[in-house]
Amino acid sequence: MAGDLLTILFNAMTWSMATFLVASGLTIVFGILHVLNFSHGGFFMIGAYVAYTVLTYFGFEVPLWAYLAASFIAAIATGVAGVGVDALIFRRLQNVEGVYVLIATYALLLVCDGFVKLVWGLNYLGASPPNGLLDAIFLGDAILPTYSLFVIGCGLLVFVLLECILNHTSVGRTLQAIAIDPWMARAVGIDVSAVYRGTVIAGFSLAGLAGGLLVANQSLSPELAHIYILQAFGVVIIGGMGSIRGAFIASIFLGLVEAISATHLPNYPGVLFFATIALVLVIRPQGLLGKEATA
Amino acid sequence: MSITTVRPLGFFVSLAALLVVACALPHFANRGVVFLAGVVATNIVFGIAFNFAFAKAGVLSFGHAMFFAVGAYATAYLILNHSWMPFLLILLIALACGALLALVTALLALRRAGGVSFAVITLALGALVHVLITKMTVLGRNDGLAGVARPPLDFGVFSVPLAVGDNYYYFLVVTCALAVVLMWFLWSNRFGRSLQTVKSDPARAGFLGVDVNAKRLKAFVISGTMAALAGALFAPWAQIVSPELALWTQSTMPLLFALLGGSAFYLGPAVGAILFGFLDYGTRTMVGVSDLMVGGLLLAVVLAVPGGMLGMLSALWTRMTVKRETTNAKLSEARP
Repeated sequence: MAGDLLTILFNAMTWSMATFLVASGLTIVFGILHVLNFSHGGFFMIGAYVAYTVLTYFGFEVPLWAYLAASFIAAIATGVAGVGVDALIFRRLQNVEGVYVLIATYALLLVCDGFVKLVWGLNYLGASPPNGLLDAIFLGDAILPTYSLFVIGCGLLVFVLLECILNHTSVGRTLQAIAIDPWMARAVGIDVSAVYRGTVIAGFSLAGLAGGLLVANQSLSPELAHIYILQAFGVVIIGGMGSIRGAFIASIFLGLVEAISATHLPNYPGVLFFATIALVLVIRPQGLLGKEATA
Repeated sequence: MSITTVRPLGFFVSLAALLVVACALPHFANRGVVFLAGVVATNIVFGIAFNFAFAKAGVLSFGHAMFFAVGAYATAYLILNHSWMPFLLILLIALACGALLALVTALLALRRAGGVSFAVITLALGALVHVLITKMTVLGRNDGLAGVARPPLDFGVFSVPLAVGDNYYYFLVVTCALAVVLMWFLWSNRFGRSLQTVKSDPARAGFLGVDVNAKRLKAFVISGTMAALAGALFAPWAQIVSPELALWTQSTMPLLFALLGGSAFYLGPAVGAILFGFLDYGTRTMVGVSDLMVGGLLLAVVLAVPGGMLGMLSALWTRMTVKRETTNAKLSEARP
């Protein structure tokens, strides 16, 4: 029984941190630019495919450093894409109604889908975890794969780093100022559009990084974007739109929901998840922790 | 985007022209094209129904596929399991299912959230409906329901066998046209104009004594019901319904139709659906290209031509007529 509980908690944490890795970039972009970016899932998927392509050069035996390097290459690739997206799309939509921005980012997600289908095809592809992360730790009845521990570690690391940057550096304070009042930030001499560009690049790089780190977490298919973006949306929205801490807590909460439903309702995957999101939104449309959108 | 004024003559002439083309189609086009035309007809109803909530009442839904799917599944289920029911009754039940689901959605979410958060709630609810459909054995789980027959249209004294020849096609086109006319009345009457007030300034509409929430709720329920009608007509036409109908990518199709054609125009979604039918037909064999095309088109419309096709045409038309007019008229127009 204790082993069961440990397994549920462990699965919950793996799901939570994997989703948080994806949701972190989404949260930052929403927190600063107030853009709910559907295409984040698409760039996450492109990051995963880029990392996969890099890893194929190593064959089946992938050293850990190569795995991390592939993730960083993916992050750089999506970061560069972020520059283009910011210049071509986000910048032009600054004074447009929120729903039209939502539609534009959805359109971009479709473009990402089409791009992946054209370049990598429709088949399922898979990458294996790097050397050293292939075995598992046995704790009583519970089996804890080291790769899942790696994912949990990455999620925690990204969370701690983002929290430190946002709350304990001058860059973070500038970001918070812009998130609260971009007009006033401009008035005191902050280059708001440069910060916006930087935020988009950071958010998109995080998407690519997540794609690279999670490439061995599931098989790759063009549906990857849709699976993760719905999960990440749930996290960002329940976490109160744009708060990193909120997203972190929400991802753990939804991870528990998902792990419990996987154990007790194995025939109905997703039902409890979407029902929870809908219920939370109906009761508190501003999210569990949200008051207003701040990073 | 402000809603353009509706000219009844223009609307009825366009609709009649569309009807004539649609009814003439089986005489010279092959079966594939006729099938596509039927799908486009249901898409037109779907698009106009969506746009009724989106452009008229300012309610963006990212879950409209659930209404379409509920209509389609209700029809398919009843035809397969309760074949004694007259077809018109089946359609009415399907409509009622759509209306009920829309009412529940609106009661749950519309009162508390607007704009982007409402869009996301409907997205989650739509995903929930999709998951539920794939898990219900009576609805065929992941395989859907196949072999949906086209039942006869029973009027008591005489009955029309819809399974014969192109009969169902004509029935579909005429029913879609009736639905379009019905929604046109709702769009252009006093109720429709009050929705416009609610959309452009909810706070002021509230001060003027308009019950904003009630108006939005009514608009959303009408929209959901009509989307269910599109689904109900679609099921016997395709003769198969599958869970993909409820997928959230399907929810964005009417949005594409509306924006492509011009969401400020009543017939905008119809233009969009027809255009999309051509594009879809042209790219149906190219893997990935259809996603790129749909995405690229949506992006282009949002970024470059926010008025859609009709918006562009009407802007061109205004420019041309203004040029022809005398300087005097120009001066009076320039004055605010």
